[in-house]
Amino acid sequence: MNNYHHKLISVILFVALLLVICTSLSAGQYDLSFMQVVAWFFHKMGIPFFENINVTEQQEAVLMFIRSPRTVVGLLVGAGLAASGAVLQGLFSNPLADPGIIGVSSGATFGAVIAIIIGINSTSLIGLPLSAFIGAVIAVSLTIGLATRHGRIPVLTLLLAGVVVGMLFSALTAAMLTIMDDHKVQQYLFWTIGSLDYRRWEHVLMGVVPISLGIIIMMLMARHLNILALGEAEAKAVGMNVTKFRLILLAVATMTTASSVCITGSIGFVGLIIPHMMRMLVGPNHRHLLPASMVGGAVFLVFCDAMGRMLLPNSEINVGIMTAVLGTPYFLYLLRKNMDIR
Amino acid sequence: MSLMEKILSVKNITTGYDKNIIITNASFDVNSGEFIGIIGKNGAGKSTLLKSLRGFLPLEKGSITLFGKELKSYSQRELAVQIAYLQQQVEMTFDYTARDMVMAGRYPYKKWWEQSSDEDGDIVDACMKYTGVMELANTPIKAMSGGQRQRVYLAKVLAQQTHVLFLDEPASGLDLFYQEEIFRFCQEMCKYGKTVIMVVHELNLAARYCSRLMLLKEGNIIADGNPEEVLTDSILTEAYGVDIRSLINKETGHVDIFTVPAPDDGRKKELIKMIVGDEHNHGKAVTYE
Repeated sequence: MNNYHHKLISVILFVALLLVICTSLSAGQYDLSFMQVVAWFFHKMGIPFFENINVTEQQEAVLMFIRSPRTVVGLLVGAGLAASGAVLQGLFSNPLADPGIIGVSSGATFGAVIAIIIGINSTSLIGLPLSAFIGAVIAVSLTIGLATRHGRIPVLTLLLAGVVVGMLFSALTAAMLTIMDDHKVQQYLFWTIGSLDYRRWEHVLMGVVPISLGIIIMMLMARHLNILALGEAEAKAVGMNVTKFRLILLAVATMTTASSVCITGSIGFVGLIIPHMMRMLVGPNHRHLLPASMVGGAVFLVFCDAMGRMLLPNSEINVGIMTAVLGTPYFLYLLRKNMDIR
Repeated sequence: MSLMEKILSVKNITTGYDKNIIITNASFDVNSGEFIGIIGKNGAGKSTLLKSLRGFLPLEKGSITLFGKELKSYSQRELAVQIAYLQQQVEMTFDYTARDMVMAGRYPYKKWWEQSSDEDGDIVDACMKYTGVMELANTPIKAMSGGQRQRVYLAKVLAQQTHVLFLDEPASGLDLFYQEEIFRFCQEMCKYGKTVIMVVHELNLAARYCSRLMLLKEGNIIADGNPEEVLTDSILTEAYGVDIRSLINKETGHVDIFTVPAPDDGRKKELIKMIVGDEHNHGKAVTYE
């Protein structure tokens, strides 16, 4: 993995990002071509290119108020989930860790159900996300609390505690569902599959600060993550306060994931497979892995969302379904390919 | 730092894992420039002793002082710039390159927000060149042979630029050449004033390279001194529980250590017969009816 290799990957990821953004802006039921989107960009920035391509006022409104916020939410959430996944995998020195494993998703789901039962999701835009966020934070705190003993957080105990807390909250959610009205169950189902539908600039505003902040902190901590990923014994040998850094990174990853999940509903696979893919491309050093995962996650999620709008005429497939459907085969392919080399 | 300065002082320590006491009442001093080999049979407490000297295990009794200061009063980071520690088995989940691994040795020198500097890079390069793994800098560690890997870890420990090196069986499982090379590296480092304490299994090499040997039996130091004093027939026989001879090889001048086989007893012959079998199959297929 030399410098040239890393630069090449950066360029590829950046180009993919631009392509996917334009695709996402042009995809959907309202007719807009890829080139119109590109032209709109240039018009907006005042660069005299593609002046012959016309974008109507109505099209501009669709771009501005429907597709842009949706795309930006997708970028933010994809980047946040993938970067958090990379951090958690490094933190647990376990390549199978993902944001779901410490209870974030089940906690958020429970919080969302509570919000739906109380009905604050229909009275205010921020009600459900806030409730989901609180649920996630409670679940993760419970996980960490269960796993901490004598000021230490053993990785295996933490993973087990995460599984147990996840089950607990899933059970609580199930219990709530049995006493809920049908139309509220419908709302819950809608949330739980995870979608970027109807996301507005308000959603962007909600997520942009915590998610960007989380990503920036995680990137600043890359060097510490490299040491943690070597395992507890090695980290101690070079003088790291393992518990302190585990807690800090757990907190940041939780905040980032919870902020993402509470806006879109739970979206699986991004946090698991994107860091994996990127590790195969740029290697395990987190100084390269975290930025790559961030961009990779953004590209993947927005791509999945755009595909979900293009595959079926007159209807959409939720992005949460798309990530799983597209992610699984690609992940398996990568795994098999990697096995062949060894 | 002048030679023969006392750097580590261990007084009556009793230690182990939780309630499981392994080392009892160990006392010794370590001087600057010494190359100490900790020897003894499996389970004698060698690694436990080394871990407790590094402060990884709580002391049940006694005290350890490093450079005149209580070991407990050092912070983790302060300790990491005084003592580098190479664990017996480094288990890696992710496939870091050699350079990434060696760079980890620079960790204790950085404030939490600092990134590695050019100076760190130079030190890392020097360490990798010294142990001969510079060409492998961008090679993933998992793709290396055992000998190459151990040299990378050695470079990492050196990059920590500590006065004291603790190595837990760094030569085990390596080819003869690599084993000896590790001992040579350490001997050379000690000549330049570093102090090395190493858990060793290879008695012949320990005899040739270490300046001092510490022999453990069931958690007690039963002999401590230069190799000639420690590696006597009677002491070794007591420590390992089998009949051991050590001879000076007249041609090489090195010490040869070997066990004397116990006299054959009848029961063993019966067992061997059982294992080898009376009749061999010699290419015949075994048929089941």
